[in-house]
Amino acid sequence: MNLKKVKIVYLKEMLDTLRDRRTLISMILVPILLFPVLMFGMSSLVLVFVKKAEEKPARVTILGKENAPHLSSKLSQSEKLTMVEEEDFENAIREKKIEAALVFSESFEKRIENEDTAQAVIYYDMAEIKSDMAVEKIGNLLRDYEDSVVSHRLEKREIKKSLLHPVNIKKENVAPKEKMGGLMLSMFLPYMIIILALTGAMYPAIDLTAGEKERGTMETILVSPVTRGELALGKFFCVMTASVITAVLATLSMGLSAGLGFAQMNPFTPENAQLSIKFTSILIILILFLPISALFSSLLLSLSLFAKSYKEAQSYITPLMIVVIMPAMISFMPGVELNWILALVPIVNVSLALKEVLLGTYNFGFIALIFLSTLIYASFSIFITRRLFEKEQVLFRT
Amino acid sequence: MIKTHNLTKIFQDKKRGKIVAVNDVSIQCRPGRIFGLLGLNGAGKTTLMRLLATSLKPTSGTAEVNGNDILTQPEKVKANIGFLSGDTGLYPRLTAEEIVRYFARLNGMKEEKIDQRINEIFERFDMNGFKNRKIDKLSQGMKQKVSIARTVVHDPDVLILDEPTLGLDVITSRNIIEFVKDSQKRNKCVMFSTHIMHEAEKLCDDIAIIHKGKILDVATLEEYRKKTNITDLDNIFVKIIGE
Repeated sequence: MNLKKVKIVYLKEMLDTLRDRRTLISMILVPILLFPVLMFGMSSLVLVFVKKAEEKPARVTILGKENAPHLSSKLSQSEKLTMVEEEDFENAIREKKIEAALVFSESFEKRIENEDTAQAVIYYDMAEIKSDMAVEKIGNLLRDYEDSVVSHRLEKREIKKSLLHPVNIKKENVAPKEKMGGLMLSMFLPYMIIILALTGAMYPAIDLTAGEKERGTMETILVSPVTRGELALGKFFCVMTASVITAVLATLSMGLSAGLGFAQMNPFTPENAQLSIKFTSILIILILFLPISALFSSLLLSLSLFAKSYKEAQSYITPLMIVVIMPAMISFMPGVELNWILALVPIVNVSLALKEVLLGTYNFGFIALIFLSTLIYASFSIFITRRLFEKEQVLFRT
Repeated sequence: MIKTHNLTKIFQDKKRGKIVAVNDVSIQCRPGRIFGLLGLNGAGKTTLMRLLATSLKPTSGTAEVNGNDILTQPEKVKANIGFLSGDTGLYPRLTAEEIVRYFARLNGMKEEKIDQRINEIFERFDMNGFKNRKIDKLSQGMKQKVSIARTVVHDPDVLILDEPTLGLDVITSRNIIEFVKDSQKRNKCVMFSTHIMHEAEKLCDDIAIIHKGKILDVATLEEYRKKTNITDLDNIFVKIIGE
């Protein structure tokens, strides 16, 4: 093995890869844009729509107004509701002419005056978000009314309102701000980073193997004075570089988006969550990233080397995506914690370790074990890739 | 100089079973001569040449290229040959110069020597006009020139050319023919495979007729004519393969 030749192959493959538009998109553009878009963009967009729907008054039909004349007129003055007269209110709801209907039972206000219980029924379509929101609005207005009735009754008896609430329950969050932020990040980040590590390496891996077969450059390189091992390693390092670049960009983009306060601008972020990531956490993430990138790169290279064409390679890689996505998703599962066995399960271990690093509760013993075990899996996989490059049945599979 | 000793290659095919692509071939190609490998499609020309270029490993037998054994010294063999075929493509996103430089580096040449050699070759094949253009922006003729430049950048003693004119237009194939003749003048050992008779007639000093993996005969055109009393290589070929 001549390392100088590995370097020559590597540099040429990097140059070639950096001129491939598909690779550039998956390696650079996607990881940079994904996090700002996810943290701020998407959820804000949803919120804008929800807010818009909330601000718009709900169209409501009231039946039995004569049973509650005061309350009815009060409701019709509310800015949150628009009164619409509909006879067949059930149909009107289904046909979306109104969002909800409110029916007051007989002698509603009279019963209230007599200090009895009265009934109001809200009709709505649960499968319609707007209708659901209308129920909320009507419910709030009715609760305000109920509150005032209760206050009035208590006043009459000269009873203090606080008598009804002898226990005041208050929750205080003692989690440090980083942990609050980490909790959110720790759920989806490990998963995102692992998937990006795979997709970042995918196009170069296909391009450098099946792509070469398709363009007929494989034969050209095979008759040149470079061993199969040197060739395999040069290509492997190029694919791994792409994977690592994707991950580094994703991690930086995530750190920057958090630092610039994108997450705070996101209305779904809990108030006292601070999305800051410690430098050591980033360092550990990157260190854990090296062996998993190596593992993915060699797996992708082996699979796509076997394929005859770009298309065939893509169809081999799809199942690999699923095999990676499933264990990577373990970071979403609450309560699953690292132990000595899980630390040996590929992908699951890295996903859980990344999660713990983000939460700040990691144990260096586990990190070391995960790094080593993943390194061993990766080495084995690289060995297989190298062997495949020696096989003429694979290289000349046309 | 190429010498093969009982070179044999057997493929295992799932559907067709055992295929003897190259069967017990022992031939010799000498420097300063063009050795033609004449055969139908599927006769075993490409497999034989791939064996010599070490991209395939023989099932039995061996060969020497400039005294280097294909089994034990494949890297030295590859450093001594220039291999060109219809299947040796070029990297579309690299420029003409980048490609030639890449292969020169893989051949272990020093940067100074590479610069000098690139200037020389690009001048000789009139390629300076598209030196820095990417391959996918080049015409077929230009690409062919880059392929030739790639093949000879390390100035190999042995050239293995597998149907290099296949699918090329008249002008582009003429470039190749000129290149083959020029290599002969430079005392290179050239192995040239084709299924086009008049190409073999025009170019080759020695002609080997290969059929179903076996070399049926090796002789000069004159010797063939004497042996068979036929002047036309087409007819000589058909007579020898016996179909």
